[in-house]
Amino acid sequence: MGRVLSSDLLKIRRKGLWLLAVSGPFGIVALQALNFGIRYDYLTKKYADDLWGGLIENIALLVPVTVLAGVTLISSLIANVEHQTNSWKQLLALPVPRTAVFAAKFLLSVILLGVSCALLAWGTAALGVALGFGWDFPAVKILKISFLPFLASLPFLALLLWMSLTVRNQAAPVAIGLLAAVCSLFAGQLPEFVPLAWPLLAAGPPSGLRLAVGGGVLLGALILLVGAVHFERRDVD
Amino acid sequence: MSEWIIQTKDLCKSYRGRLAVDHVNLNIARGEIYGFLGPNGAGKTTTIRMLLGLIKPTRGSVEIFGKSLKREKLHILRKIGSLVEYPSYYGHLTAVENLEAIRRILDVPKTRIAQVLETVGLTKDAKRPVKGFSLGMKQRLGIAAALLGEPEMLILDEPTNGLDPSGILEIRELIKAMPKQHGITVLVSSHLLSEVEQMASTVGIIRQGRMVFQDTIESLRRQSEGSISVAVSEPEEALLALLRMGFRGKLENGRIALERTDDQSVARIVKALVEQNHAVYRVEEKRKSLEELFLQIVGEGGGA
Repeated sequence: MGRVLSSDLLKIRRKGLWLLAVSGPFGIVALQALNFGIRYDYLTKKYADDLWGGLIENIALLVPVTVLAGVTLISSLIANVEHQTNSWKQLLALPVPRTAVFAAKFLLSVILLGVSCALLAWGTAALGVALGFGWDFPAVKILKISFLPFLASLPFLALLLWMSLTVRNQAAPVAIGLLAAVCSLFAGQLPEFVPLAWPLLAAGPPSGLRLAVGGGVLLGALILLVGAVHFERRDVD
Repeated sequence: MSEWIIQTKDLCKSYRGRLAVDHVNLNIARGEIYGFLGPNGAGKTTTIRMLLGLIKPTRGSVEIFGKSLKREKLHILRKIGSLVEYPSYYGHLTAVENLEAIRRILDVPKTRIAQVLETVGLTKDAKRPVKGFSLGMKQRLGIAAALLGEPEMLILDEPTNGLDPSGILEIRELIKAMPKQHGITVLVSSHLLSEVEQMASTVGIIRQGRMVFQDTIESLRRQSEGSISVAVSEPEEALLALLRMGFRGKLENGRIALERTDDQSVARIVKALVEQNHAVYRVEEKRKSLEELFLQIVGEGGGA
């Protein structure tokens, strides 16, 4: 599978995927820079007890919708690299197990989105320092809100990637993904067992966090497995 | 006969109850160029996709290199290079990068890339993005990709489709060189007999999912035996005279059409006619072209 992944990394060159991976966290940080820049006095007074906590809270609100939108676009663009010029028949006639092809695409998405998460953590810390909140930033908390919503979104990544890879027309997976992203803004109203509520829960207090992350990873793995089995058996046109 | 590289037994594929491929038995021997012919939609591509394991047969079996495709797919695919219909390429990458993407999966030495580019004559354009290539160049790149893993068998589906005459010629020369220079067996499909007859040693003709002909190209040629057409001053009398001499023929548009065609017979016919004071205007050989024969086979098929 390493060989397929290395091939995939080459194929996404000049496709704008890395730019997309960078622009997500950059967008969140820029939005909060604007927010805190314009309302600096008001917000620093409001969060006077815990300046870093206030910043992190504001960042965390934007993470679920951005992660879900990112998951949607990345999985569709990765699939499109093969769809665009009918490369499936060439790729799948190579001596490589189809499950390895499927897993490599998933891993590539995880790598790209993982880079986004890492950049978000770095950007959050940098923004706080730039706003004069001091150097003693809560690293664990920042890493948590950067990475855990993504782990809670894995079921969506597995599902959307599976759809994108098997259906040529990308309208359905993209529509579903973006709809999920928009709905996640109101996910606070949803019961905790609904997967769509998990990305937001994962950025919140520990009570819901365990269910969101654990459920996300488990359900994600399950969908990935079902998708891989289907991908292995299907006819390639 | 030598060993079969590809052998299918009663291969079938049905879509929604309709048989797209109907009990096809392909036999392809080592070192030959096998022309797989049939009109569009006859089941060529479906058959080829089954040979490559892209789709699963509804019934029947495929054996390649004497092994079952179902059980040893990856092992078999390692020794096959393929090009299925339109070329597959990543337009935003250069020719070298395209091949590198495949090389990383095949795990062959990097030097192979330069070698295959040389083989297909794309060394000069190696560093250009493929989206700027002509269709012929893309198709050659596709063949380069197929050759990358040093295959023993090359499966090319309609490799000349949509190319201009010089592009067709280039691809044809490339394919012809494969068995001689690299010892590669080739399966090449086409809907045009004229494209295949100049390179193939054996042809299989498929029509509505069924194999209707499978033999050497010579055998196909023999079936297209010619007839002799003679224009004379008094055709009816002349024909009678010839029939009396034991020749078989008939009148066609005021000309005599004769079946037997060896040189001696023609000499005797002309001599006889001249001796009986017929003016012989023209003696022409009418060959049914292979294309006509092909159309006839495809038209009649195994049906009706």
